[in-house]
Amino acid sequence: MIKTGAVAATTSLPGQDKPAHGFPGVKQLFSQNKILALLIAIALIWAFFAWKTEGGYLTPRNISNLLRQMSITGMLASAMVFVIISGEIDLSVGSLLGLLGGVAAVLDVHYHMPLAANLAIVCGLGLLVGLFNGYWAAYLRVPSFIVGLAGMLAFRGVLLGVTGGSTIAPVSDQLVYLGQGYLPTLLGDLMGVIIFAIAGVVTWRSRLSNVRYGLPVAPLWRDITRVVVAGLVILGFVRVLNAYDGIPIPVLLLMVLLALFTYMATQTVFGRRIYAVGSNMEATRLSGVNVRGVKLAIFALMGLMCAFAGVVNTARLAAGSPSAGSMGELDAIAACFIGGTSMRGGVGTVHGALIGALVMASLDNGMSMLDVDSFWQMIVKGTILLLAVWIDVVSRGSSR
Amino acid sequence: MSEYLLEMRNIRKSFAGVKALDGIDLRVRAGECVGLCGENGAGKSTLMKVLSAVYPHGTWEGEILWQGQPLAAHTIRETEDAGIVIIHQELMLVPELSVTENIFLGNEITLPGGRLNYAAMHQRAQALMNELEMPDVNVALPVSVYGGGQQQLVEIAKALNKKAKLLILDEPSSSLTTAEIRVLLNIIKGLKARGVACVYISHKLDEVAEIGDTITVIRDGTHIGTQPMSSMSVDRIISMMVGRDIANLYPREPHPIGEVVLEAQNITCYDVSNPQRRKVKNVSFSLRKGEILGIAGLVGAGRTELVSALFGAWRGKSAGTVSINGKVVDVSTPQKAIRHGICMVPEDRKHHGIVPEFSVGWNISLPVLGQYTHLGRIDKSAELKNVMHEIGRLRIKTASPHLQITGLSGGNQQKVVLAKMLQPKPDILILDEPTRGVDVGAKYEIYKLMFDLARQGISIIMVSSELAEVLGVSDRVLVMGEGELRGEFNNEGLTQEQVLAAALKPLDQVLPEAA
Repeated sequence: MIKTGAVAATTSLPGQDKPAHGFPGVKQLFSQNKILALLIAIALIWAFFAWKTEGGYLTPRNISNLLRQMSITGMLASAMVFVIISGEIDLSVGSLLGLLGGVAAVLDVHYHMPLAANLAIVCGLGLLVGLFNGYWAAYLRVPSFIVGLAGMLAFRGVLLGVTGGSTIAPVSDQLVYLGQGYLPTLLGDLMGVIIFAIAGVVTWRSRLSNVRYGLPVAPLWRDITRVVVAGLVILGFVRVLNAYDGIPIPVLLLMVLLALFTYMATQTVFGRRIYAVGSNMEATRLSGVNVRGVKLAIFALMGLMCAFAGVVNTARLAAGSPSAGSMGELDAIAACFIGGTSMRGGVGTVHGALIGALVMASLDNGMSMLDVDSFWQMIVKGTILLLAVWIDVVSRGSSR
Repeated sequence: MSEYLLEMRNIRKSFAGVKALDGIDLRVRAGECVGLCGENGAGKSTLMKVLSAVYPHGTWEGEILWQGQPLAAHTIRETEDAGIVIIHQELMLVPELSVTENIFLGNEITLPGGRLNYAAMHQRAQALMNELEMPDVNVALPVSVYGGGQQQLVEIAKALNKKAKLLILDEPSSSLTTAEIRVLLNIIKGLKARGVACVYISHKLDEVAEIGDTITVIRDGTHIGTQPMSSMSVDRIISMMVGRDIANLYPREPHPIGEVVLEAQNITCYDVSNPQRRKVKNVSFSLRKGEILGIAGLVGAGRTELVSALFGAWRGKSAGTVSINGKVVDVSTPQKAIRHGICMVPEDRKHHGIVPEFSVGWNISLPVLGQYTHLGRIDKSAELKNVMHEIGRLRIKTASPHLQITGLSGGNQQKVVLAKMLQPKPDILILDEPTRGVDVGAKYEIYKLMFDLARQGISIIMVSSELAEVLGVSDRVLVMGEGELRGEFNNEGLTQEQVLAAALKPLDQVLPEAA
């Protein structure tokens, strides 16, 4: 099987280097480098569909489409992953997305609210509803599964009430741009260069910091390789999307969220505490961490992301629909689990969740292109989810 | 046929090279009650697990004769079929099921087609209840409507229904009231008269003395003695239970002791599930600067509850006031307690101490992440630098600070938890069973660290079930029993017998100097 040198240097887990019985190769691969395995899975999926569609699948136009398709689920998943890491679940996000998207449409169509004010109001609402959910789950100790289930029903009900059950259209061009617009190609190129520069500077500064504290420094060639690989990925990404119309705005937003949330997860106190709470809540509480506060904040963040995704969804459809976002929570949760988030809490990454979302979107998109019946699409997605989590269980079972 | 119903001969059992049982003998005649006595960790539970085949035949050495025949059981089911039934300290009842359903759980009387034969089961259950002199119990009601004492008797009924010839009662009275204990003891006497033998394990030696015909004392996994109760006394049992010298395991150092820093007044803790019951009853004490205060007592004496309350970690209701340097402080959550300079290393390392998915370093820095933070970002280099310093200071044996904590040995994990709770730089450090499951080398280092900290002026409260440890480390010793403070001793010439006597005896019998 594939051996990789890219195993994260900081987290070598004991007991994982010896192959377990069963499917030693596969198991080892998945437990050591889940993300790499997922990328390989995506490559296989893409290759399969490219072959079946005689290359149509891998045109810049379709890749642009595919990424746009995954952006809504991706936005939800990028916050849902924290909910799951902390050991909770939120089933209300699909309905909440629909509700907040509906509110945005109503404000835009009926009240002609300027985009900035509209966004501020909807995001504020999302934050409040998230806090509400979190308060029930963390402070009133109603299991989050139930809180989410209740919200799933109730928020959808409110949405139906607000919209009167009918589609709200047409929304303003300003708003539509958020969902359907593209970043001008020149700006896209510029952004690529800036991100590359940031990656270089961050790597360099972390080296300097280690030197200052007298800590061991990774070999130079490894850091250079890392930066070069990052540069190539950025270059490919920007070039492909610019070959069509430019980077789609929702995809740009998703990339920004990925950066922000990854920073939050890996570099901040709050991020570290999320993982601690999910891994052992009682030990974390006894270390003087306000564990309820952490959970409350996670749910608030989830609410905020529902607002974000709701607005973008309304913009993408150019209308507020009473059925918007239905089943969205399941896609988001599935994306997290496919991306290696642990059901038991304490383990998971934002980029993993987004790759999970990409797996699902790739399947959706490819099967649609092949005119596969939608019932088959559902069956395939369900199967993939089941297999992905089974592999997670099997690969972790041996290390515990 | 042998004179004995049960003979256990020369039982040996080791865990990973550590001898838990080293040649224990236990003999029980039909209709006899044997009191099994020993300190915490002496091997009583291990011995009973060998007997009931929790540890199957072959995983231990020695011989068990049951009614004169060798017994080589591999499952609990086999020993139960033979007539050996163990009643655990924690009741194994399903609270939502009825008394009848509990008695017949796993043993149901059925009609054709797998339907339950409730008529037959109720009848038999009622008969058992009558036998146990509890005719008022409605066997169709859920077990949860009855109190702890009656539930205990339902357990016994369940055992009798399995045609038990030997009942093993492991700390049966730890959750019972005095009146309920009376009933229980009377029932056991009745069973004895009917030829049912029992092994009675309890820290409450007055009960053992009353009910036991023969007393077997074990200590550190070895058999100390077996004598008829008629030739024994409670004091004699205590000295047999203790009977060892303190080896020079304790690197004692003189350290100055200053003014009172902490004063706890009338601390009361209520049971989480049963708010009527008090686990800690009006306990008051004080702690001086640089002092090591040991809290001794047997399991269930309320020590963990008491110190948890001081740290804001007790899950149930609690009352009382805590003052630090003369000022009353709010320690209702661990967060607040840490802010007031109190830190605690909890008893249960696995569930309350470590964050298993985290590395050694991340575990250590968890309480003080804010220290390394600049504009919301953790300065990982600064964090790592400090973590490496701590790993060196506490001599934590780990290949790297990035290693996952679950890869370390118990002793080193304990040191990590200790290091973690030292990060907030506490004035008062609570250590609950700091050396449980820790090897001797790590133990020594933990003691050394404690004396080091005391010399730096940190006050330490140590809860420990090992009397030798309490006497080896403490400046002063508090003794708790059944939620009460039963004695306070200066650790000068204090003996284990004195401490154990205080822990075992209710207040009115306590030695004069323990006022």
